[in-house]
Amino acid sequence: MITVFGAAVWFQGLQMRRVANLSALVNTPLFTLALVAIMVHSGRSDLAPYAVVGATVIAVWNMAIVESGGIIDADRGQGTLEALISTPAPLALVVLGRTVTVTVISLLSLVESVIVARLVFGVVVDVHHGWLFAVTLVLTAVSMAMTASALAGIFVLSRSARTFQNALSYPFYLLSGAVVPAPLLPEWLQPITKVVFLSWSTDLIRDCLRPGAVPNALTRLAVVAGLGLAAMVAGVWVLRRILERVRTTGAVSFA
Amino acid sequence: MGEPTGSAVVVEGLRRSYERKRQEPRVALDGIDLSVAVGEVHGLLGPNGAGKTTLCKILSTVLLPTGGRVEVFGHDVVTDTAAVRRLLGIVFGGERGLYGRLTARQNLRYWSALYRQPRAVGRQRSAALLERVGLADRADERVETFSRGMKQRLHLARGLIGDPKLLVLDEPTIGMDPVAARDFRTLVGELRAEGRTILITTHDMAEAEAVCDRVSLIDGGKLVATENPKTIGDWLSTYERVVAEDVPEDVAVSVRAVPGVRDATRSEGSLVVETDAAGAAGRVVELLVKAGVARISTGKPSLADVYLHVIGDRGSVVR
Repeated sequence: MITVFGAAVWFQGLQMRRVANLSALVNTPLFTLALVAIMVHSGRSDLAPYAVVGATVIAVWNMAIVESGGIIDADRGQGTLEALISTPAPLALVVLGRTVTVTVISLLSLVESVIVARLVFGVVVDVHHGWLFAVTLVLTAVSMAMTASALAGIFVLSRSARTFQNALSYPFYLLSGAVVPAPLLPEWLQPITKVVFLSWSTDLIRDCLRPGAVPNALTRLAVVAGLGLAAMVAGVWVLRRILERVRTTGAVSFA
Repeated sequence: MGEPTGSAVVVEGLRRSYERKRQEPRVALDGIDLSVAVGEVHGLLGPNGAGKTTLCKILSTVLLPTGGRVEVFGHDVVTDTAAVRRLLGIVFGGERGLYGRLTARQNLRYWSALYRQPRAVGRQRSAALLERVGLADRADERVETFSRGMKQRLHLARGLIGDPKLLVLDEPTIGMDPVAARDFRTLVGELRAEGRTILITTHDMAEAEAVCDRVSLIDGGKLVATENPKTIGDWLSTYERVVAEDVPEDVAVSVRAVPGVRDATRSEGSLVVETDAAGAAGRVVELLVKAGVARISTGKPSLADVYLHVIGDRGSVVR
């Protein structure tokens, strides 16, 4: 299992050496400039660190839906899925290893965003709860990788995965609390944000940038992990269903 | 390795059909029975759409049968999938199926890990296989820069990376130049000597004759016959074709009268002579030369020609 997972991580690292696969990281400075500029020029520089978090969440989400979400579809397109299925390696484990790599790489956007905010606007991002911040980041990355594995399965069910990917970008900028904190969204949207693990992560990260106690930290971390785990369970189920379906219909190699 | 015994592949009453919207299901395999002995090189010969690839896919667990039973070394491909996958290597034909942005070595090392081989083993096997298929010099170049024949050789190496007991080769020499195809035949011989069982699909009767212990002819999803390679060789020599240009009509009439000539028709100015008896082609050539015809060529029959002769003679439907 470790061999397969390690190989998947290594393989995805090799696949992501092209700028085209890192477009979300290329866009991160631009999102940072736009979001931080709004805060600074509206006289709320105190909120600028939140904008840095927002730009990061957007990048992480974008890479999850575009790069991770397209993993199985890309294998199907280049004719490697049949050979992959015929190996003893569990497909879900291969996909998870690859989505973990994408997610870890996507976290570089945080470094980018912090640097751009500092250099352009002089904004300093202070972390007041270092350990909680670190744990939140790790749990968010794990949950994101698991969610992305589910997405990779869901997208492959459609022949227009790209449309799905595009449709999931902007709504989730809102639902994740990346652009506007979730509690400030219209009331009817609030229940939806509660099942989006990123909204919990984003709120926790914001709280880590504020002095003072972080309320219900452990519970909120548990929710992030739980929602990620639920996504993984759903992802494994979806992948199993897909494998059954393609083996039944013979549609494995449809591009 | 001891003398192999028993069956590597057992196929009984295998059926596979594909559902279609508002149409009758398309039957790809219609009650196939087949047995491949351990250590045997078995050819599946048939035209496009005969069902060869469907059979390979079912054997390699990427497609479920709709009826019948398939076992690989005693493991059912439907209920004991994991065991089958550990024993089997698959090579699908064509250029697709490799990661173009990775080097040949990286491709093999990745596939090695998917067969759960330790890194050191993967490294060693990758290097050995690259050497074996003649790609050692290009091992660290991206696959997207490879020619079609080189990709096909890498496909072969990928199929072998898991050290399979059963190797399924679906049209493995497509795109190979004659030298590479010859090397491929040598490689198949070596693999047989190692005790591996090989199932190979092909359109090429000469290839089937050269590498296979037995050959099964498939057409329309049905197994037509299982023959030994000698029979294939006989077909190749029996159904030889002669093509001659500028043949006067009186000579053409004489050609048609030669014993063993099945048909002699004009096509775009050439006389195309089909034979169905050993030695007939030689007699036709001799007659043409004596009549002063200078532009003569002979050729092996195509698979379609053989089907017309063999399957037609047996009363089967020829497509």
